[in-house]
Amino acid sequence: MPELVAAHDVDKTYGEGDTATRALTSVTFSIDEGEFTSIVGQSGSGKSTLLNLLGLLDTPTQGRVMLRDQDTSQLDRRQRAGLRGETIGFVFQFHHLLPEFSVTENMTMPLRIGGQKIGDEERERVDGLLDLLGLEGLGDKNANDLSGGQKQRVAIGRALINDPGIVLADEPTGNLDTSNTDSVYRLFRDVNKERGTGFLIVTHDRVVAEMTDRILEVRDGELVQDVRNGYA
Amino acid sequence: MLALSIAARFLRSSSGQTSLIIAGIGVGIAVQIFVGSLITSLQDDLVESTVGSSPHITLVGVDDQPISATVAEDAMDQPEVTTAIPVRRMSALYVEGDSLPLSVTGGDAVDVDSIYGLSERIVDGRYSLDDGEILVGIGFAETAGVEPGDSLSLVLPDGGSGEYTVAGVFDLGAAAANDRQAFLDAGSVADALGLGEDEFSAIEIQVDDVFASTEVAGRLAADGIEVIDWQTENEELLSGLAAQSGSSIMIQAFVLVAVALGIASTLAINAVQKTRQIGILKAMGMTDAASGRIFLLQALILGVAGVALGVVFGYVLIWGFSFAPVDFEVRPSPGLILISVAVGIAVALASSIIPSRSTSRLDPIEVIQSA
Repeated sequence: MPELVAAHDVDKTYGEGDTATRALTSVTFSIDEGEFTSIVGQSGSGKSTLLNLLGLLDTPTQGRVMLRDQDTSQLDRRQRAGLRGETIGFVFQFHHLLPEFSVTENMTMPLRIGGQKIGDEERERVDGLLDLLGLEGLGDKNANDLSGGQKQRVAIGRALINDPGIVLADEPTGNLDTSNTDSVYRLFRDVNKERGTGFLIVTHDRVVAEMTDRILEVRDGELVQDVRNGYA
Repeated sequence: MLALSIAARFLRSSSGQTSLIIAGIGVGIAVQIFVGSLITSLQDDLVESTVGSSPHITLVGVDDQPISATVAEDAMDQPEVTTAIPVRRMSALYVEGDSLPLSVTGGDAVDVDSIYGLSERIVDGRYSLDDGEILVGIGFAETAGVEPGDSLSLVLPDGGSGEYTVAGVFDLGAAAANDRQAFLDAGSVADALGLGEDEFSAIEIQVDDVFASTEVAGRLAADGIEVIDWQTENEELLSGLAAQSGSSIMIQAFVLVAVALGIASTLAINAVQKTRQIGILKAMGMTDAASGRIFLLQALILGVAGVALGVVFGYVLIWGFSFAPVDFEVRPSPGLILISVAVGIAVALASSIIPSRSTSRLDPIEVIQSA
């Protein structure tokens, strides 16, 4: 499979001078299209920083982040925002749904940000995702009227609406109970198999990481392990 | 447009706050419209009562030399001049009982009416300036005890006396004019002053815009002619009007500042409340400029809605004032209302600069990493 995203010798330092804190040091790895990968590490190890860099939400202090063979360090904020919207879906620990909008409106937001009009085709896509997510008939509900698990599933639907190359998920089940956690990972796996969408999941939970095909371990800002599970 | 739809939804989600600020803008704009219209109407009425029924420019011969009627015809060539009439003026004295001085203007009935509007102001008798007929003010008529049809004997400037018939009594709305002003037929004054057929004391002129009189007066200046402009003669009144306009503008400016602070604080609060939403929208690919536009559009919606409400409130206030027990009418000034609308919306947009900028600078990571 072709390479989707790659970090080349990436450093990230916050602050300057005496107060400078090095979050990542010389991180190099790549992820192919359709890979189901996790990043594990303790709190403060730098795994979320790495995810933000790969998601073009932040820029490295040194090194390069490549997305579909494009060197993103050459892009300005506007171009990075555009590329992010087209290529990457995000799922965060907190659902971050817009409480002013309905479920369908929340899910179609990335399309509208990308300048697409919402027509029949897009509505069908939303309905298909709602079925996949087990949220049939809830499209017109306000996002605030759903349970925690439902909200996180809507956030997953929002991440998938653009058919992104990869979904970056930062502790996506950190706020969910065990049954919702299982259903979210089953959903990720189903989408990965059915649509070929790549997943990069940041977690501190080894059990969750074991469910992925490849585990990257970050410790004190360095990539210390890159192993493939038996599923691959 | 996505930014507009998000802006509208953000405002609707805090409907109480939105309604309050729209009402606040509305009250501010209404006060602006009402105060502005009140001051404008007051000033218009004051100027109208001062010079509406009197000459705006008077041309007299230097050293009291007589002036020709052709000067009036020449003055009519100026586009702003609406009326220019030759008149003869003299002082006279009524000496039966009390001694009452009169300032007598002699002229053709139609001409005199075009400046003084006397035919509309006759309260007793009729408007006529036929040979030997005189029109006197209501104050003089009461003091002297004369009424239409009575004979009036006046001491003339040469010491002789003249007998005239009172044709009518007028009310010019000002006590000084009603006590001392009188109008006589042109021929009688010519006889009293010994003037020839084409010899007049003054040319009295009105222009379409009373405040253009100084400029027109400058153009009418000529050798042997002294030009008297009402604005030069009424400097105190004009400086009073200017002070009134200044204080009115200051009140309106403070109202606008209050409106601007209201919108700015609402948007600032809104920007803080919606930080999470803006952050996630940016994470999903919304550009800095588009996210900044959300607050600009919120300000535009608040501004347009508030100003529209303000115009309605303003008209209601003006209408309400018509029931006040005062002999004065506030007229809405369309120009002023347009300015209030434009300035109100501009102020609203300006108020959004700070929240728009802070929003466009927001880093989505700050939001994503917090709950």
